[in-house]
Amino acid sequence: MKKWGLLLLAVLLVAALAACGKRDDTTAPGNSQGGGAAQDKVYKFATDAAYAPMEFMDKDQIVGFSPEFLALVMQEAGLKYELVNTGWDPMLEFVKQGTEYDAGISSISITEERKQTYDYTVPYFESVNMIMSKKGSGLTTAEALKDKKVAVQNGTTADIIMSEIMGKDNPNLRRFETNTLAFMEMQNGGVDAVVADNAVIGEYLKQNPDKDYEGHIDPNFPSEFYGILLPKGSELKAKLDPAIKKVVASEAFKELYRKWIGGEPNVERILKAQEEG
Amino acid sequence: MDFRFDIVAEYMPLILRGTLLTIGFSILGILLGSLLGLIISVGKMSRRKIFNLPASMYINFFRGTPLLVQIFIVHFGVVPAFYGKTQVFIAAVLALSLNSAAYTAEIFRAGIQSIDRGQREAAYSLGMTHRQAMRFVILPQAIKRMIPAFGNEFIVLIKDSSLLSVIAAPELMYWGKVMQTQYLRIWEPYLTAAIIYFILTYSLNKLLNYLERRV
Repeated sequence: MKKWGLLLLAVLLVAALAACGKRDDTTAPGNSQGGGAAQDKVYKFATDAAYAPMEFMDKDQIVGFSPEFLALVMQEAGLKYELVNTGWDPMLEFVKQGTEYDAGISSISITEERKQTYDYTVPYFESVNMIMSKKGSGLTTAEALKDKKVAVQNGTTADIIMSEIMGKDNPNLRRFETNTLAFMEMQNGGVDAVVADNAVIGEYLKQNPDKDYEGHIDPNFPSEFYGILLPKGSELKAKLDPAIKKVVASEAFKELYRKWIGGEPNVERILKAQEEG
Repeated sequence: MDFRFDIVAEYMPLILRGTLLTIGFSILGILLGSLLGLIISVGKMSRRKIFNLPASMYINFFRGTPLLVQIFIVHFGVVPAFYGKTQVFIAAVLALSLNSAAYTAEIFRAGIQSIDRGQREAAYSLGMTHRQAMRFVILPQAIKRMIPAFGNEFIVLIKDSSLLSVIAAPELMYWGKVMQTQYLRIWEPYLTAAIIYFILTYSLNKLLNYLERRV
């Protein structure tokens, strides 16, 4: 009889733990914005918060440009939401299925290949790629990098651009999981330059003033735009697009940009891309 | 589930090239690792502290820390210290070998020590020296016992080599990740990679079974 007692206790303990549930302590501040409309559905957004200054973790909070931008958009749209750091691969699968999560916001560039599997909102951010090289090395344009060693983060627009210029299977083009690793490769002399978003390079240069690196923007670099990732045929697109358009055109957007990226955003180009999109 | 075979077909040349590298890294890793492992196992079996202690520490460190961290240390720390800059292929082979050596050292030790003492004593009583006993009596029997364990280590190494993608070594998993980010689809690259790893390990398994019967 004592055995059954212990078993019962064990089962109760497990049930109690499960009932407490997992405290989701990775949600961004400012969820559940109730705007004008009484929307009871809480939309779930996934992100890969490993990309300062756009979206990254500060201990257990998701911070950066993206979460604050999302807060503005959802307030404008009058929708409740939740932002969860799921990681990159899980985010893709979640959004593709569209059942547990409704969208993904993670500095995701809009490309034709990706549109085959997903829908996007209108663009909300223009990413300008920057070349980071040693001061005085003269590596300031993409042409100059053609036969040099370059590090990029796998899958970023920098990766796409340099793959086109240098060739996809060029062994001198090294793709890393994160920009941090790309920067480390450069610090250890493995590559001559790193190509990444101006926001990311800006952040790196700010954190490492002692290294003699500098960043250059090649005017020939095509720019890419970020959109919020949606499952195909999502009804959220119709709700988000007008809100995004309004927020991008607002002063709050400029302030957000100044705060996280520095400098002024080229809002006209984003608005133009929205019209074309 | 819609599986886009056309993406897989598009990436096939790169995937096959990556597979060749995976095979290369694994073979070099197990060969060099076994060589180093043999030396370390002899050290570990020695009763003299000067050999035993470093050997034990080596085994504990390389078995006790994540291979991922070891790869980073070798690529960003060890290799640049000697070469002045990073060298992917050297770092890849070195990291796999160092890790594998710790495991193979224990495989050697287990194999050798599992041979009945009586065998050694019989060899001595026939007038063999320690070295002759090892060479003609102990090792031949021990090796046959070590084959399954070695096979295991080799198989594990093939799959562990997928971690080398984090230092941008263009092996199989690396191209899988590139495919993933271009199309933002995960099943096509990862399932394809899994199937290829399976083919590699399954073939190796068959080969080892054959070897075990022959020896």
